[in-house]
Amino acid sequence: MGGITGNVTALRVTVTILVLLAFVPLLHSGYYENLGRGVLMFATLSFGWNILGGYTGYVSFGNVVFFGIGTYTSAALWQHWHQQSIPLAIVCAMVVAVVFAIVLGTPILRLRGHYFAIATLGIALATEEIVANIDWLGAGSGQAIRPLEAFSSYYVAMWIVCAASMLATYLITHSKLGYAFVAIRENEEAAAVLGVNATRYKVIAWAISAAMAAAAGAVFAGANGFIDPPTAFATDDNVFPIVMALLGGVGTVAGPLIGALILTAINETLWSHFPQIHTLFFGAVIVLVVLFLPRGLLWLLNVRGGWRGVVATFGAYRV
Amino acid sequence: MELFAQDLVNGILAGGIFAVVALGFSLVWGIMNIINLAHGAFIMMGAYTSYVLFSTWHLDPFLSIPLAFVVLYVFGYCIQRFVINYVVRAPLLTPFLLTFGLSLLIVNMALFVFHGDTKGITTQYSGSSFSIGPVTVAWTKLWTLVVALAITAVMQAFLTASRTGRAIRAMALDIDAAQLCGVRVSHLYAVVFGLGAGLAGAAGVLISLSYSLQPSMGDPFVITAFVCCVLGGLGTVQGALVGGLVYGVLEAFGSQYIGTGLQDAVALVVLLLVLIVRPRGILGKATA
Amino acid sequence: MSDGFLSIENVAMYFGGLRALDDVSFEVERGAVLGLIGPNGSGKTTLMNVVSGVLKPTYGNVRFGGKRIADVPTYAVCRLGIARTFQVVKPFANLSVRENVAVGAMYGRNGGSRSARASFDHAQELLEIVGLARVADRFASELTVPDRKRLEVAKALALDPEVLLLDEVMAGLNATEVDEALELLRTINRRGTTLIVVEHLMKAIVSISTAIVVLAEGKKIAEGAPAEVLASPRVIEAYLGARYVKRQRQREAGA
Repeated sequence: MGGITGNVTALRVTVTILVLLAFVPLLHSGYYENLGRGVLMFATLSFGWNILGGYTGYVSFGNVVFFGIGTYTSAALWQHWHQQSIPLAIVCAMVVAVVFAIVLGTPILRLRGHYFAIATLGIALATEEIVANIDWLGAGSGQAIRPLEAFSSYYVAMWIVCAASMLATYLITHSKLGYAFVAIRENEEAAAVLGVNATRYKVIAWAISAAMAAAAGAVFAGANGFIDPPTAFATDDNVFPIVMALLGGVGTVAGPLIGALILTAINETLWSHFPQIHTLFFGAVIVLVVLFLPRGLLWLLNVRGGWRGVVATFGAYRV
Repeated sequence: MELFAQDLVNGILAGGIFAVVALGFSLVWGIMNIINLAHGAFIMMGAYTSYVLFSTWHLDPFLSIPLAFVVLYVFGYCIQRFVINYVVRAPLLTPFLLTFGLSLLIVNMALFVFHGDTKGITTQYSGSSFSIGPVTVAWTKLWTLVVALAITAVMQAFLTASRTGRAIRAMALDIDAAQLCGVRVSHLYAVVFGLGAGLAGAAGVLISLSYSLQPSMGDPFVITAFVCCVLGGLGTVQGALVGGLVYGVLEAFGSQYIGTGLQDAVALVVLLLVLIVRPRGILGKATA
Repeated sequence: MSDGFLSIENVAMYFGGLRALDDVSFEVERGAVLGLIGPNGSGKTTLMNVVSGVLKPTYGNVRFGGKRIADVPTYAVCRLGIARTFQVVKPFANLSVRENVAVGAMYGRNGGSRSARASFDHAQELLEIVGLARVADRFASELTVPDRKRLEVAKALALDPEVLLLDEVMAGLNATEVDEALELLRTINRRGTTLIVVEHLMKAIVSISTAIVVLAEGKKIAEGAPAEVLASPRVIEAYLGARYVKRQRQREAGA
């Protein structure tokens, strides 16, 4: 169909990987389950970011807010209403996050480019501070959640959340909604002249993004057993999903999951071999990815002109 | 009433540092259209430079300002010329993430070399202060403000009077036209970034006089710099100065009446109010 | 008050002290091709912006089908039935030509009732009308300038407009391309769309317009059938200056 749907082979491969990931609990290994659940969680966050950042062109540096909202919803459900049910936590988290997104979105989405990016970063930092001051949410010391007996149930839940996010992304790119998003990204003024109510669709994109992040957060909270402001609003959870989307391919369906897989693999290798300076190496990885894969791996597969086309792009951004 | 006056004075004194922080950030943003998320890391490097010079050779921090400036200038120049330049005109996300990655690298390098424990610089004059009526003023902070103002004056003179400064301003207006007039853009881009880093380094030294040092100390200043630039108006020295001073005062009052743990929330509210009510900032020019 | 098809009523547009438009009024008849001409800076594009709802007039109204355009937000103007092309053509670069047109089909006047597939079918039809069917799957960024102009027209047509505003659509085209463009406009007009054409090329305007409105310095200085408008001394004066007209008269008197 054209520019909005990506490479079909990559998509099939990614779906296969996703299906394979569903079988990890059968390995009966806590280590692999943790690792796999991490991949699924980051992939979900990345899918969410991708909807607003990749498809609609609004680069958010504060998506972790919704992840944090998800974790705290889950925690509050246990602390105050003694609810352990994962589906309930997910649904409540999504509802709260969507409300937040709609309320915040209407003023914030009027900003563009750098202003929007930093405003979202500011929201993430500010929310962490505010939550740390709310006693009902455990303030600075955080809240505990009693994990369910069947530990693998969190893995399954995260897998479902991740698969649902990927499916949602796929459906969006094959529907009119996806075109509204992309039109806004390409030229917001021209899109308005063509009948696209930009404000409404930006808020919708943000709300979808928020729902995905919150669902991931709700599951994470239960699996982790405990959350406090630094855990809920961790910078890693904010930035990694973006780098993953960038690595895999911004604005593609398969990109976030591929990026999550590769980056988690790199992270684990670094962590086990160089525990002291693993964050340092990670910074180096980010720098390298950004310099050499400005549009992600999947773009490399699609680029016209082969290698010359790739090299030509580097020249375009220099001074 | 005394409390109000004290807060006001504290705010202005802190505002001087914010102005220098904002100035470097504003230069890079205004001229190269890059939001440098590593600005905080540069500040930290300046602070640690002053610490090293102080603890090894007992060099007074005020005297290490020019040294820190030069060191960071060279560092920034090289980073722009050999790393950032490859994506300097790419869409927003790319330089954003790149400077974020660089920040991670630099901060963690510092963590590796200096370890995470808090360090401080205590000079002979560190604790001394004087009083004007009900208001107490710490000597260190007063001199910091004076130096900060001097730095902004020097930058203003450089940008308006020197040939390089004029070339930089021309480049900011229209990079292609400037190139056609013979301006060496790749060199000047690096100069601008170097200046931004140098100013951050100088700010770092000033900060080291009054605050404790940690590898992550510079990170909060990125948001501060952003808010000050938006508040005061992007692209001018006066804008950074006004933005810094006003923000310093707002933060002082914010800490007093809302609480010290909510700095970022205050910053965000200020930012959003400015962007919604007067997006160009206090001194900014309205864009056509 | 007018019960007309499209009424421009006493429209004024002031930008601070600059009067870009000053008390401009005229009627557009259904099915017409209205040529809008005038020297540079006379306010033609500003008037287009007002009629298409991009700018709200300082005074006066534009009424279409009884509704005031100024009351409607930009994205809803196409639902009223008005579409326009832009002088500086910027298509959606990373989408294919067909997708570019499909967006309008999805969100324009009849978009609500169209599915994605129906939108693509409609887009394909329009591409054939404008002559872009051969490049339907190419990225819009790869098109030549005349093709980009065709794309711009197709995108506007995808909104199923009753009135199409064309802002200097023939700028930068050579003689053959101009003739092709004129043929395309005639086809669109025959299908029932009213056109308002802003153009500098006199030959093109004369050959295609059923009526002409002339602007100079923000004011309307002539209106009517092409032949009489272009012979009007006031119009000639606006384009070529008062001294030219005076010299012409002297020459004619002397001859």
